[in-house]
Amino acid sequence: MGVNYTLEKHLIDRQYEAEQAMLKEFEAGNYTIQNPLVKYNLYEISPLSAVVCFETEEETAVTITVFGKTKQADMSHTFPKAKKHVLPVLGLYSDYANKVEIRAYRGESNVITIDVPDVYEGKKVIHYMDTTPEYLQDNVILVSPAGEDLASAFDYAGDARWHMNVACVFDVKRLKNGNLIMGSSRLLKMPYYMSGLYEISPCGKIYKEFRVPGGYHHDEFEMEDGNLLCLTEDLESDTVEDMCILLDRNTGEILKTWDYKKFLDPKTVSHSGSWSEEDWFHNNAVWYDKNTNSLTFSGRHIDSMVNIDFETGELNWIIGDPAGWPQEMVDKYFFKPVGNNFGWQYEQHANVITPNGDVMCFDNHHYGCKQVDRDVKNIAAKDNYSRGVRYRINTKDMTIEQVWEYGKDKGAEFFSPYICNVEYYNEGHYMVHSGGIAYDQDGNPSEALGAFAKDMGGDLHSITVEVCDNKKKLEMDCPGNYYRAEKLKLYTDGINLELGKGQLLGEMGHTKEFDTDIPMESCGEMLPEIYNARIVEEVDRFTFFSRFEKGQLVMMLLEQGDEVHRYYISTTAVAYLAMCCGTFLDSDERNTKTSVNKTGLKGTYDVRVIVDDKKYETGVQIHC
Amino acid sequence: MLKEVNSVEFKELADKGLVLADFFSTTCGPCKMLGFVLKDVEKEFGDDLTILKVDFDQNKELTAEYSVAGYPTLILLKDGVEVKRLQGLQQKPMIVNMVKEAL
Repeated sequence: MGVNYTLEKHLIDRQYEAEQAMLKEFEAGNYTIQNPLVKYNLYEISPLSAVVCFETEEETAVTITVFGKTKQADMSHTFPKAKKHVLPVLGLYSDYANKVEIRAYRGESNVITIDVPDVYEGKKVIHYMDTTPEYLQDNVILVSPAGEDLASAFDYAGDARWHMNVACVFDVKRLKNGNLIMGSSRLLKMPYYMSGLYEISPCGKIYKEFRVPGGYHHDEFEMEDGNLLCLTEDLESDTVEDMCILLDRNTGEILKTWDYKKFLDPKTVSHSGSWSEEDWFHNNAVWYDKNTNSLTFSGRHIDSMVNIDFETGELNWIIGDPAGWPQEMVDKYFFKPVGNNFGWQYEQHANVITPNGDVMCFDNHHYGCKQVDRDVKNIAAKDNYSRGVRYRINTKDMTIEQVWEYGKDKGAEFFSPYICNVEYYNEGHYMVHSGGIAYDQDGNPSEALGAFAKDMGGDLHSITVEVCDNKKKLEMDCPGNYYRAEKLKLYTDGINLELGKGQLLGEMGHTKEFDTDIPMESCGEMLPEIYNARIVEEVDRFTFFSRFEKGQLVMMLLEQGDEVHRYYISTTAVAYLAMCCGTFLDSDERNTKTSVNKTGLKGTYDVRVIVDDKKYETGVQIHC
Repeated sequence: MLKEVNSVEFKELADKGLVLADFFSTTCGPCKMLGFVLKDVEKEFGDDLTILKVDFDQNKELTAEYSVAGYPTLILLKDGVEVKRLQGLQQKPMIVNMVKEAL
């Protein structure tokens, strides 16, 4: 018996097929406002949405309203004039018979019922939302995954009104055209490197997947011209999370690349408590500032925010505790604190440049000191805090002043050793999202990051706060950890649903191979069933899933005549220091998942697997 | 030269020229793979490099002496003095570059 093989269509293809089938049904029928065609979760991945189709005799604008559980919770949008209407319905409730009104402008109306199952399968997804309908209006607070809890958005009453049932992890932002940009749902490499970015409608329709050779992680940013900054890495390099690229929004082409090793020397940077040689920078945010034509990168593992010139890539300044850095770097690039009540940030996330040039971030304050001082000053979780902080910098005299903070006085109950973000809305009006709070099984603030704390029986929280002029206007507490929070309206003034096939742009990179050969001839036997192996092939890659015992020697081979490609499969659990997104961790450490991109491969390859002293057949061929 | 040694043999050889110590375990997949890599590395350097394989579990005093916390761990010694240390499975170019820098 061979290895189980599946050919999996890309989501874009599946969505197109579903959309085409719906349009065919629409064309064939006589659908009106009184008798609309309703397709619940048409695009598979947004189960609190639907699409309705109907015709009107005259061109008319139509308003769709999902009736809320209270009047203030109504989600409503008016669409432009048309005769044929294919409209997204957003803001449905889970586990509820939703009443949805379709109303023509100065014309007829109809209320339909859309039954939605319990998309959370009984799982509690929010502890509380404390705000007012006047403050939040028809906005929702969207939280993106850092663990097993997938993206959701909650209204003023704390009801989930949007959800994704696939793991699009890390940042979610609204684009100027009204679409959302987020990490793709295709895992490229453990622990959390994704194939690229999705530009997507809130109803789940993927317009574009921007595939990125080095994968996507942590953050992206829309430029003035619509092009996209994307955090990535070089898969062939021995380091990770230390590159940024600029993507052409229309073609997915890489227009510009910034390699952080060109403006910082990994050997001389001052370490944070989570530093490792491989993950020496740990870039978790990028921000472009038009006023200074510069990029700011947050480097968690150097406790610093680093600003470079957009054009030249030259280093402008570094915000961070200068302890442990070479003196010539300190003299040239670091700031001197002025004023009272100043504190440096440690292992920060989500840097933001405000319109007046101030620099904000979520100061996780993990360890609370530089590595050089760690033995004497390292702060335990129970005594630590996290905060949103805003610094004012003077780049002429290289001084820095702390002008605002929120969260420090909350102590350990607001402490997130990882992830999180701040948002700037206006002067004095901010969001501070502490999404990585963890307690151990005894209820003490945990030293472990969320995914690990939970494995050890701990309890996770994600607390999102909005303040206006130092008054708290909103507080949301969710069980689980969430990477970031974003406030937005589900409907936009832009195009809320565009029909047609989505685009697969860019390309995956060449998957790193293992140089060394294990000299061995095939034993001619099929890989035994005990290894629970299966292969899933997609248009641009394939993934080998298997289960091996700790300590086994395993290598997957692609063979085509004398041409051999080797992929070592580790059977030893890897200790990740910076598990910003534990979504893809497997509860059974024996399970392995090895993805190989088709880039650089050509022809038909036999897949064989070496396990200890035998080379097995899988019976599977991959066509590239 | 590439050979597996005990503590006594290690101490006899460790301070003689350029020595690459491989602290491994027989229960570790990456260690097994590294074994194949080191055979390739040996071919590259011939007599210029001595590769000593030390069983982590059988030589606890030695691992403690060299503060080896996990396996595989590679320690490059020049006349007995540690020059560089690599943890985890490494590909051949990484090891070759490390040795070349120390030659």
